[in-house]
Amino acid sequence: MTKRIFRSIFLVALAVFIAGTALIMGALYSYFSGVYEEQIQEEASYLSTAVEEMGLDYLEGLESGSHRITWVGSDGTVLFDNAANEDAMENHADREEIQEAMNGGTGESERYSSTLSQRSYYYALALSDGSVLRVSGEQYTVLSLVVSIWYYILLVLVAALALSLFLASRVSKAIIRPINEIDLEHPEEGDTYEELAPLLGRIAAQNRQIRAQIDEMKTKQQEFATITENMNEGLLVIDQETEVLSYNNAALRLLGASKVEGSVFSLNRSEQFRHAVDQALHGQHSFDLMELSDRTYQLIANPVYEHGKVVGAVLLLLDVTEREERDKLRREFTANVSHELKTPLTSISGFAELMKNGMVKSEDIAHFAGNIYNEAQRLIVLVGDIIRLSQLDEGTTGLEKSQIDLAEITKAVVDRLHSAAEQRGITFDLQLESAMVQGNAQILDEMVYNLCDNAIKYNRDQGKVRVSVSPNAGHPKLVVSDTGIGIPYADQARVFERFYRVDKSHSKEIGGTGLGLSIVKHGAAYHDAKVELESVPGKSTTVQVLF
Amino acid sequence: MRNQFNTQLNTLHVELIKMGALCEESIAAAMKSVLDEDETMAERAAATEREIDRKERDIEALCMKLLLQQQPVARDLRAISSALRMISDMERIGDQAADIAEISKFLKDCPLTGRVHLKDMAVAAVQMVTDSVDAFVKNDLSLAQAVKAHDDVVDDYFKQIKDELTALIVEDSHNGESCIDLMMIAKYLERIGDHAVNIAEWVEYSITGVRKLEDDPS
Repeated sequence: MTKRIFRSIFLVALAVFIAGTALIMGALYSYFSGVYEEQIQEEASYLSTAVEEMGLDYLEGLESGSHRITWVGSDGTVLFDNAANEDAMENHADREEIQEAMNGGTGESERYSSTLSQRSYYYALALSDGSVLRVSGEQYTVLSLVVSIWYYILLVLVAALALSLFLASRVSKAIIRPINEIDLEHPEEGDTYEELAPLLGRIAAQNRQIRAQIDEMKTKQQEFATITENMNEGLLVIDQETEVLSYNNAALRLLGASKVEGSVFSLNRSEQFRHAVDQALHGQHSFDLMELSDRTYQLIANPVYEHGKVVGAVLLLLDVTEREERDKLRREFTANVSHELKTPLTSISGFAELMKNGMVKSEDIAHFAGNIYNEAQRLIVLVGDIIRLSQLDEGTTGLEKSQIDLAEITKAVVDRLHSAAEQRGITFDLQLESAMVQGNAQILDEMVYNLCDNAIKYNRDQGKVRVSVSPNAGHPKLVVSDTGIGIPYADQARVFERFYRVDKSHSKEIGGTGLGLSIVKHGAAYHDAKVELESVPGKSTTVQVLF
Repeated sequence: MRNQFNTQLNTLHVELIKMGALCEESIAAAMKSVLDEDETMAERAAATEREIDRKERDIEALCMKLLLQQQPVARDLRAISSALRMISDMERIGDQAADIAEISKFLKDCPLTGRVHLKDMAVAAVQMVTDSVDAFVKNDLSLAQAVKAHDDVVDDYFKQIKDELTALIVEDSHNGESCIDLMMIAKYLERIGDHAVNIAEWVEYSITGVRKLEDDPS
């Protein structure tokens, strides 16, 4: 700014100075030239009068002045010259001013010296005898004048330069100050040049627009952040260099990291993870399972394109541990069900085939039919258990709940199992207090039945089963304990799984479907009750249900 | 120019993480081949070893390029020079894992494997490698120092396994061959632990600029 103003001021000053000097010099010079020429002409006319009267004597008697006087004869020979020897001078008839004078009475001409620094003016006047008197004078030219005063010109220029600098800095500061004082946040407030008003108006409008857009973006970002932060899925956005650009807390939680710095591989460097990231950065969608500290994650990696080029990737991490476990359980369940159903059917089919082919003696038929009957009964019990379990799985929404006395149900179950217990000399020890439970009678019955049934099945002969029901201050408690074979510690966590049998080889002798405790567990879950199992192998098992 | 330098430094970091991860995988695979007698794991360890070698060459080339073209100083120079040293330790870990996998072929149906504390030693050694790589990834000085302390655990296991194997040979001289194989595996694991300590020391050096030379195990 200052530079530009300085340049303008300086150039203007220089131009004015040059123009002024030229004008003044030109005007004055031509005026003084005119005056000078008039002077010479006057002198010539005085001299001519004198020469007409007195001739050569007058000229020779003249004191030599500043002007050169030449008298040329009618034939052109120089008769007199006060500045040079007339005899040595050449013929002057062809000189411009002499010729003009011979022809028209007067003649003038000007000649410049070789250096252009001097100008000579000649004025010739014809005398009555045909001779010509010439007066000439020398004068400095404009150029030589300029050259002679260059020192002053330089002085003026330096002064102009200094003044321009000073003025430029002052002026630019003065111009800039109001502009600098504009508050760009509120450009329309404050006093400034009115020429700037449209610009400031635009800035203010743009400010408002930008503010509105920023607000909008902030809102959107907040929305986005709220959504991603509340996601259970981990979200990571990375660039081509695997640098993490964006992430949510779930991602950090799932990957067990406390902060993100640099490459995404600093969060996890397992093979599946690297593979997924590499694939995504090579433009391929990837969908993998990943194991991480005992949990299973679904890792989805998608490339991000810009102008047809991969610029990064989005990674999504889902915790699918439960789903995978459920899938595994379901697969096991299906396999188990098929197996459990097939075993009795194979027996039935075998016995029936023997009978069909007449390979059974008539007196054995009753025995074989008895076997078929037993296996069929086992199948019916099994299918019944499976149906009940799937009912419980379905959520049992259709079942009614009512106030039921747990003690009554327990009493009924024990009565039903009495004969089975008696066969093995097992005795019941009952401690029943009335305890009301909000629940479904059928499911409660099955729970108690399965627990007591197990207590008999897995008991030793002549053993004892202790069953107690107590109101327990609003949290009814059912405890069934036996004096039986117990459950090995390693299996205790798994006995509630469907079809899980501790002793797989003897299951047929003992009977049962392997679904009993599973039904108890589901029934308890339906009643929001807690099941606790405590067992000492070879000594006793106690199951406690706390409603 | 600076920007490109930073990008290249980042690439170096990422490549080192990948190489560290490959090391972890190769030992895990090698030990599975020994403990679970899983032949596919032995092949996997060998394949991973080859990949580790490739990575070493790539990273070395990258380091050279960085040194020559960018002429780094101070912290950056330390990072690059320690990277150069780290990859040779990592490469040795890969080699030793491949060696363990190789030995596993001679230990088919060997009843002795379960009778020595090889699994515990393997877990400890793998943990050291994991921790040393973690220390590098997270630039974690205290973790790097913890790795050095953890080396004693692996060394103790080595002594214990040596005694156990001696006892097994005394018990039945036919155990000799298997015992020697197991001894070599234990030795390799012990060396892997030492390399992990080296890596941790290079991490320490790249952070602090101080390299302790006393009790240098290498």
